[in-house]
Amino acid sequence: MFSEQAAQRAHTLLSPPSASNATFARVPVSTYTNSSQPFRLGERSFSRQYAHIYATRLIQMRPFLVSRAKQHWGAGVQIKKLCELQPGEKCCVVGTLFKAMPLQPSILREISEEHNLLPQPPRSKYIHPDDELVLEDELQRIKLEGTIDVCKLVTGTVLAVLGSVRDTGKFLVEDHCFAELAPQEPAPCLDTDRFVLLVSGLGLGGGGGESLLGTQLLVDVVTGQLGDEGEQCSAAHVSRVILAGNLLSHNTQSRDSINKAKYLTKKTQAASVEAVKMLDEILLQLSASVPVDVMPGEFDPTNYTLPQQPLHPCMFPLATAYSTLQLVTNPYQATIDGVRFLGTSGQNVSDIFRYSSMEDYLEILEWTLRIRHISPTAPDTLGCYPFYKTDPFIFPECPHVYFCGNTPSFGSKIFRGPEDQRVLLVAVPDFSSTQTACLVNLRSLACQPISFSGFGAEEEDLGGLGLDP
Amino acid sequence: MADQLYLENIDEFVTDQNKIVTYKWLSYTLGVHVNQAKQMLYDYVERKRKENSGAQLHVTYLVSGSLIQNGHSCHKVAVVREDKLEAVKSKLAVTASIHVYSIQKAMLKDSGPLFNTDYDILKSNLQNCSKFSAIQCAAAVPRAPAESSSSEKFEQSDLQVSSETQANNELTTNGHSPPTSKQILQQPKGIMGMFASKAASKTQEANKETKTEAKEVSSAGNKAPGKGNVMNNFFGKAAMNKLKVNLDSEQTVKEEKIVEQPPVSVTEPKLAAPTGLKKPSKKAEPVKMQQKEKKRGKRMELSDDETKETESMKKKRRRIKLPESDSSEDEVIPDSPGDYEAESPSPPPPASPPPEPVPKTEPEPPSVKSSNGEKRKRKRVLKSKTFVDEEGCIVTEKVYVSESCTDSEEELKMKTSSVHRPSAMMVKKEPKEERKGPKKGTAALGKANRQVSITGFFQRK
Repeated sequence: MFSEQAAQRAHTLLSPPSASNATFARVPVSTYTNSSQPFRLGERSFSRQYAHIYATRLIQMRPFLVSRAKQHWGAGVQIKKLCELQPGEKCCVVGTLFKAMPLQPSILREISEEHNLLPQPPRSKYIHPDDELVLEDELQRIKLEGTIDVCKLVTGTVLAVLGSVRDTGKFLVEDHCFAELAPQEPAPCLDTDRFVLLVSGLGLGGGGGESLLGTQLLVDVVTGQLGDEGEQCSAAHVSRVILAGNLLSHNTQSRDSINKAKYLTKKTQAASVEAVKMLDEILLQLSASVPVDVMPGEFDPTNYTLPQQPLHPCMFPLATAYSTLQLVTNPYQATIDGVRFLGTSGQNVSDIFRYSSMEDYLEILEWTLRIRHISPTAPDTLGCYPFYKTDPFIFPECPHVYFCGNTPSFGSKIFRGPEDQRVLLVAVPDFSSTQTACLVNLRSLACQPISFSGFGAEEEDLGGLGLDP
Repeated sequence: MADQLYLENIDEFVTDQNKIVTYKWLSYTLGVHVNQAKQMLYDYVERKRKENSGAQLHVTYLVSGSLIQNGHSCHKVAVVREDKLEAVKSKLAVTASIHVYSIQKAMLKDSGPLFNTDYDILKSNLQNCSKFSAIQCAAAVPRAPAESSSSEKFEQSDLQVSSETQANNELTTNGHSPPTSKQILQQPKGIMGMFASKAASKTQEANKETKTEAKEVSSAGNKAPGKGNVMNNFFGKAAMNKLKVNLDSEQTVKEEKIVEQPPVSVTEPKLAAPTGLKKPSKKAEPVKMQQKEKKRGKRMELSDDETKETESMKKKRRRIKLPESDSSEDEVIPDSPGDYEAESPSPPPPASPPPEPVPKTEPEPPSVKSSNGEKRKRKRVLKSKTFVDEEGCIVTEKVYVSESCTDSEEELKMKTSSVHRPSAMMVKKEPKEERKGPKKGTAALGKANRQVSITGFFQRK
């Protein structure tokens, strides 16, 4: 691991100056390919309806589900469409889930005058015991009941259910299954330790000064300024840094210019301007030393709908001078030294969190991997571009490292799939609140959190470090 | 002995200048490797403490290592005060590194000042931020400027091509600033979209636009040589082309305005007769804009929808003002000192150039300027301007001046220039004319072109 390797070298810095000082060369990137092409949008037309994306999702996922159903319930299981169902007959149906939630914010209800409703305040979770599941396929829909966990599932999931239709017209579910993991290419064997640093939620422009020192310490560790020789040597093995979204704080999204009168806001500058300048400087320091991939997040100046397009290089005049800076999409997919990375800035996971009973972000991440779809709730509750040809959020293959950014706390787990797939799931915590980043070791596919702290005015011993006994 | 120099330096920084000396600050200031700076700090602390045990030195250390937390082996990096050092060290399972982070005279309550010190020294050394670092990256080479600008152009033209295939008449989601002439095609298309009532197909629109542009080019061509003569002397063809192109783009938007303005500008010459000084200044202005744009090069001018909006707002505002104030828009507002410098050497000394019809450049300069896509803060203020006109008379007049934020500079320069003149002309009795109306400043003074007012005929009470 990073620390052990760092500790191997002798401590030299608590001593008088020596004549020579070691300089380490950054490990060169042996192979890197950016496979985010499906998430890049060219010309965009919003004149389409969103029904197409559901249709194409179902069409694409149907073969996977049919094969899984046959695996689970035997090759003889009958796979039928909803229109072919006979009452009482046990069969399997493949379709898209829709969860009818009374608490789900509905703009139509809000603006409807007859209800006279005040806008609903935002909640952390919109689930309710009265939620109902409906299965839709190409032509029909049917209500589901039975052994199916209504709270956990969310709209947009494509699954296969086994059961029979009752006389009441509802489908009684006995079992259900997901598409499970896609096939995976074997991970490469690397001979030396190489690290990829995952950071998210830098939250610049947020006003809080504590995280700034943490950010500076992070940059210093990666660029090899901080630490003893051993640590610097280990840091030289960091071959890439991925910034997974929310580089700017959500405070920079002040909508004053929209709400306030023009004369009040005429000479004010958007908060994001200062924050972007700060970000530019940080990116300059990083890209002068290590290849960086910058993904936009929920509060960053790019489009709102998924897939988010890369930030524009004109915002970073200093940093774009270096070719090591790469501005990439959200979600982001790449192959770094043979290891396949796939990740998002966290909007997909946090949206599922809102509409599902699952509490742990890592659990939700695993679940999206199992249903073989990055963000099933798009476009229902999460903004999404109206695709019609393909749904790019379906996993074409299983990645080796699957991460999501801006989670409340660090989490990491190795998940094994039915066909011997091995995925490292990483929940990258929000840096502005946790001062923690993640180091992924490409050789061993293990993840180590790395956290930074300064000292504050509080007198409690080591409280800031989290080293309480 | 040379080794001891650093000790004296550190001593001076800490005790005399009362600075917070972090390893990074020391590394940049003395130009040494970061590790060496850390060692120097340590050495200094040891020596100072040995000599004088009561030395008032507070030291912060950087400790890093791993410890088990929540089932993970977590790597911690912390800046700690000296008194907490041992406690932290004992908590860590594996200690990877310890070194001195900073030395300062006063005890620090929190680590904020450390960050500020580092940030300040970093800001002043941004270009070689990894020079003294322990890791050098071979891949991190700055792109050649040609390469980066060409990649930009490529990206823009890429998006341009893709947007042209769009059936509807929308701006691309990422607004693009039009630094290159290629982008001018985009911009009028987008703005035309706001004005055009039909949604013609993109290709037709493009054709229309190129036709209108071709028309404008020729009309601009007629106008431009008029003012181009003087300008050609100073600036090359490239600037002229840019000027033309920018003019075109603005003219597509302001067709109506241009119709309005020629009749206005006809009255102008009568009012403005003697001071043909205005003309070179005015002419210089738009070209200066171009020069600035050229200079800026890749310096991004974000014209996103908002700035376009404010531009159109400004244009709209100007349009409304037109009838009442009868101005041909002479408000070219350079908003950086660079402009002033560029201008002052360029225009010829105030000898009398042939009076020309106060241009038709008048519509152009403000439009040219606003095509920059930059936010200019302008306010119209009634100011009293003193300048020397052709005959050597000092003239004071009150005009509306659009001022930008470099207000004070403008005033200062004006004052100094007006001071010189009176001393030269002391022999004559200078009649001070109070002339209201459309007066342009002398070359030295003509930073902001004045608002021409229809009420200029009449004395302002």
